[in-house]
Amino acid sequence: MTSSGMLNDEPMRESLQVAPLTIQKAQSGDHGADTMSSANMYSQSDITPPVTPNGSQEDLNTPPNDTKMFHSFLRAFYPFSPTYAMTDSTVTLPLNEGDVVLVHSIHTNGWADGTLLASGARGWLPTNYCEPYDPDELRNLLKALLNFWDLLRSAGINDSEVFGNQEFMKGIIAGVRYLLERADCLTRESPLVQSNDRLRRGRKSLLSELSSLVKTAKRLLEMQKLAETADDVNDIIDEMILKAFKIVTKGVRFLDILESDRRERASSVAAMDTRFEETHIPPTPPADATTFGDKDSQGKAKDADTRADGSGADAELRVPQTSASGPTTVIANKRVSSLYPPASASSNRLSHSNQVQTSSLSSTVSHRVSLVGTSNHHASPQNFVSERLLSCHDIFLTYSASLIGRLHLQSQSRPHLALAIKQSASSGGDLLVVVDVVCAKNALGSEFLHQSRTAMCDGIRNLVYTARDIINNPSGEFDDVVMPQDSSRLLAAATDCVIATGDCVHKTKLIIERIGDSEFEADNGSLGIDLDLGCLDVVQYESERRPSTATSDPSSVTESSVSEAATTTSTAVSVVSTAPSRLLTLSVDKPLPDVPQVMSPLGETQITSTPPTSRPQSLTEDAPAIARSSVTSVRPELPPLPKISTSLLSEEEYSPTEHSAEHEGEFQPSFRIESMTASSTGSNNTSLSRVSESSFVSQTSTRATTPDISSGPKNQLSLSELSTTESSTLTEEVDEVESKLLEKTFAHELIFNKEGQVTGGSLAALVERLTSHESTPDAMFVSTFYLTFRLFSTPKMLAESLIDRFDYVGEAPHMASAVRLRVYNAFKGWLESHWRDELDREALPKIQQFAEFKLSTVLPSAGKRLLELSLRVMSMDGTLVPRLVSSMGKTSTSISLYIPADTPIPASILTKSQTNLLNNWRAGGTCPTVLDFDPLEIARQLTIKQMTVFCSIMPEELLGSQWMKKGGVNAPNVKAMSSFSTELSNLVADTILQYSEVKKRASVIKQWIKIAHQCLELHNYDALMAIICSLNSSTITRLRRTWDIISPKRRQMLKHLQGIVEPSQNNKILRARLHDHVPPCLPFLGMFLTDLTFVDIGNPATKTSDNGMTLINFDKHTRTAKIIGELQRFQIPYRLTEVPDLQEWLQYQIIRVRELEMQQGNSVQVSYYRKSLLLEPRETQTLRTPVETPAGVNGPNGMFSWMRANSSSTSNPLAVAAQT
Amino acid sequence: MPSRYQPSREFHVVVLGAGGVGKSCLTAQFVHNEWIESYDPTIEDSYRTQVSVDGRQVVLEILDTAGTEQFVAMRDLYMKSGQGFLLVFSITSKTSLQEITSLREEIIRIKDDENIPIVIVGNKSDLEEQRQVERAKAYSLSQRWQAPYYESSARTRMNVDEVFVDLCRQMLRRDDVYDRSADHDDYYAKPEDAHTSGRKRRRRKRDHTRCVIL
Repeated sequence: MTSSGMLNDEPMRESLQVAPLTIQKAQSGDHGADTMSSANMYSQSDITPPVTPNGSQEDLNTPPNDTKMFHSFLRAFYPFSPTYAMTDSTVTLPLNEGDVVLVHSIHTNGWADGTLLASGARGWLPTNYCEPYDPDELRNLLKALLNFWDLLRSAGINDSEVFGNQEFMKGIIAGVRYLLERADCLTRESPLVQSNDRLRRGRKSLLSELSSLVKTAKRLLEMQKLAETADDVNDIIDEMILKAFKIVTKGVRFLDILESDRRERASSVAAMDTRFEETHIPPTPPADATTFGDKDSQGKAKDADTRADGSGADAELRVPQTSASGPTTVIANKRVSSLYPPASASSNRLSHSNQVQTSSLSSTVSHRVSLVGTSNHHASPQNFVSERLLSCHDIFLTYSASLIGRLHLQSQSRPHLALAIKQSASSGGDLLVVVDVVCAKNALGSEFLHQSRTAMCDGIRNLVYTARDIINNPSGEFDDVVMPQDSSRLLAAATDCVIATGDCVHKTKLIIERIGDSEFEADNGSLGIDLDLGCLDVVQYESERRPSTATSDPSSVTESSVSEAATTTSTAVSVVSTAPSRLLTLSVDKPLPDVPQVMSPLGETQITSTPPTSRPQSLTEDAPAIARSSVTSVRPELPPLPKISTSLLSEEEYSPTEHSAEHEGEFQPSFRIESMTASSTGSNNTSLSRVSESSFVSQTSTRATTPDISSGPKNQLSLSELSTTESSTLTEEVDEVESKLLEKTFAHELIFNKEGQVTGGSLAALVERLTSHESTPDAMFVSTFYLTFRLFSTPKMLAESLIDRFDYVGEAPHMASAVRLRVYNAFKGWLESHWRDELDREALPKIQQFAEFKLSTVLPSAGKRLLELSLRVMSMDGTLVPRLVSSMGKTSTSISLYIPADTPIPASILTKSQTNLLNNWRAGGTCPTVLDFDPLEIARQLTIKQMTVFCSIMPEELLGSQWMKKGGVNAPNVKAMSSFSTELSNLVADTILQYSEVKKRASVIKQWIKIAHQCLELHNYDALMAIICSLNSSTITRLRRTWDIISPKRRQMLKHLQGIVEPSQNNKILRARLHDHVPPCLPFLGMFLTDLTFVDIGNPATKTSDNGMTLINFDKHTRTAKIIGELQRFQIPYRLTEVPDLQEWLQYQIIRVRELEMQQGNSVQVSYYRKSLLLEPRETQTLRTPVETPAGVNGPNGMFSWMRANSSSTSNPLAVAAQT
Repeated sequence: MPSRYQPSREFHVVVLGAGGVGKSCLTAQFVHNEWIESYDPTIEDSYRTQVSVDGRQVVLEILDTAGTEQFVAMRDLYMKSGQGFLLVFSITSKTSLQEITSLREEIIRIKDDENIPIVIVGNKSDLEEQRQVERAKAYSLSQRWQAPYYESSARTRMNVDEVFVDLCRQMLRRDDVYDRSADHDDYYAKPEDAHTSGRKRRRRKRDHTRCVIL
């Protein structure tokens, strides 16, 4: 790797350091962000030292502001520990610096519902403590994780399709591969890995994690086969998700190591240039003074190191951990290699402060730097009122959030609630003190403020009194539990309180702006509100709890980051608090005198590092922007919380176990999963969500992170357990995975939908999937591919791609033979079943050459076979292996499935006289009419005739609107179907119109209605459609006198039939009938043709992937194939007896009308219409001729007898027509 | 019975034209929400859309039987259901213009109505260099038919919405006229030919609407 390459990556990393506001900015418009960063620029220029030439240009080119709306991953930039007792509620997640979070949704108030990758815990976390995390190297892996999560979360456990092909694993593997590739660490032998022990170990641990996941996935597959219980499968899925998280966590860490390594290298390169500046720069690390010395010395050690090295020969190959680096470096490195996220992240920052910072920083980072710098200059700590206000408000909101969250639980333990209310109230009191201070200073607008102060005061008081009533007067027999109705009262009070407080704080801030900030001088002890909070002391419970609250956070934060975190905590928090109206959901409060203790460490550090000017300024800028976005989401009530386990962990389990850190691989705090089941509370409120249905998310997506608490310890896999169980088998597994990684792959060029189906991809990626060695790709994919590849590629290109696949898989020996066999099979399948010689011939030379020279060297017999095949296709017409026309849709079992072979074939209904008629006709006698036969038998013979054509429709006839092009020469069967349909319609009209007697016409109409009815009974919708169209055509419906003598019963029947073929609402009724219809059935072909046409037209040929690649829109082809598959589902012949004589007669009739049509051209309909006019001329006035006497009916079966009976009672034929 | 309190009306529009004139592109463009990544024509609402015409909300159900042009006998059925027709030809094909001439005759025969709302659309206007049908010719034809003429391009989305909106406007106007003259209409009702039933049904419908308005 070259140094320039490394430098190019610098801006990337720096953008990681974007200060906490990014996300909110992105949400509420970039207005504020711009002004702020430019403001920071200036402040930076005042304070920060001149930049080194390093990377400064890249920095200019890549402004850190990310305009994306939603970031799926965040990285905690500051540690965050919810300041109320964590044990009480798991709503809010603690963050360690460097933690990576999968975000499900972001509430407008800036809190995100996320899952901590390090622990799998889900909960709310403040986005202002985080920044978007999307480094180039990890992009594919992160995206794969998203897919993985979506897929495993949404897939039903019985979805063997999804799990069967292990496709979901590929993305993760490809992601890891991509990361290693980008890092130049793909192989163990790569110089970078060889030279850097930390990298080597990071890589190994990443790989072992991956192999463990692969193993679990295989186990899942086996379980699926064994049809294990749902619980077990769910356990494994949970485990897999956790493991995938771990992979990403390790990937992140690996990248961190890599970055620090790169920086060290970069520094060694740049040392010569920068040494001068560096030595003159006052060190401006972000950390505070207490840890500063430490870092400084480390930095110096590094400097020394650098210098020594820079003068050396080859800076590139320098190993970072030379002995020269001295003890401090060793410590730092140890921390890094301990892989404990905060530590590693802080060491990152450390190195930033030494090198990067002094070069150019993203403006926001330098803003932070400038803060620190300022604080160094201003030795005397300043305790500003504005700061104080914000931090108090923050505390208040935190408690209130906890309280409100708690109130949503079904039933509450009284003492817990009392404590929460006390905390809220007391913090509210603290806030009031601040407000009062401002009030006192503000002579002008005190009235303005006073009002809201009173409101806030009342709110708090109201809350406390409500609470007192409820807590001291148990309403039911459950003394210790607060009943839901009480909860809702409290909730209302708490919510009011938060609103009032928000308003008050807002106004106070306005006033501070006006009168200017000042130092805060007030006695912490005094409450701003005189309330007897003692009334809430139901039990001494809280006294046990409070200390733990107080201790939790300092201990969990590494020393070096404490002070800095504190600084930014306040900044960050202040952002949250600038949006008071939106924070309703979060808070309520009441001052407890002791609580400030909790915050005191924060408070003090804050004081030391408060910047004098820049902050308030930026705050005011934030406020409007936030306010704008806030309007939408003010909600009076929170949605009910999911039930949360109240069995919580003791404090130690929370504080990250610093020292599992000794050996790498054990970095994660030993959170037990269930303890962290953060109830992702009101995600209904969320404004942004990765999945659109945010409420849905919160219900379903907890699978991984919240194993059902009640279901016993079996589910409660802890991460540490996971890792120990793995470790034994790791070594051999790692090798396997490693080789897996070395595979060249195009997996990242595939796009999947949430069901795990491929929706897009490059040809190479699609071919790779087609020839995947681990599992057979799903049938739908394969058949879609074979069917449609000529639409997105050429036969030649496919052959080349397959050959290419054959070649590049050679680099991965362990799977080469398997894949090569698949390539052979792909060729074989193509040649045998999907070959279309006229189109594919151009690819043949390539295939032959491949078979002869490449394939046969590896697989001699396969090569021979392929060569044979290729020679045979040339000499053959059609495919070698007669394709089961429906290689998709129709399974081989279908026929036997639907029509058991032993089903008796119904006997044909043909009386002797009918047979005689036919014989007579064949001997040259008169032709029988449609009236001479049984409607059912005619329907059967029609159906047989049509089905024969329908079954011979080839899928390729249906592609690319072939049937519409060149007169349909390439779609002969489709054309035959449509012609037959038209001819049948014409036949109906023709047979009706051939009689001049009304009565005869009526009997023919009735006969056709019956035939249509029988077609419906046979599920022959195509014939039904044709007959109804004709009966319903204007030509026939206008024959009023004829319709007059048709019985209501028949007309009713016709009406029913018409309803079925009614085209409105996109053939709603017909579609409903065909859906899940069991063959045998002959659907209306036209509907499929229309669908295919619109799929073709309505979907673009290509789509663009996230990284800008133009990929084949495979989704379009899948849709096409699905429709064709649906059609093929019905390509199953009826079990009916063909009556040759009747077929012959039918054919004769059809030909007769066809010839008529040929004579008339397209105007045959017009000629029928004229005929209709002749038979029953337009009536100028109603002139109802009495029904004619029945003419001699030549039908021997007496089928018209009912007609005579009915003829006199016929009603208005409009009833029929009106049904259209 | 039409819901009298529903402000929006629903119209059935039939798109007709020879195969290959791009009429289905026109339909797809019109009903396709561009933010939908993939278009599924097999669902009930695939061809339903709402448009605002002169401030009135109109629900359009579009019947476009693209791909089934060869099912000649079906046209009758489709035409019956239409209240307004889009006759599409391609400016690059003279025969497609002839086709719509016969389609129009068929419509008028089937609807038994000379004044049925029709819009003539010359599609593929982006292929000016391949033009075979002069604009003037198409225009004079449309004048003879007393129907508006548009040249559109589904590819550039030129005049796609306009043709549908114009058709809606015609249908709305016609509805209003019928509303006003409904009484006379009933009086002079033609002899009840069965094939005019479609019209009658609509007239009946209008009677209801009239009740609302009066």
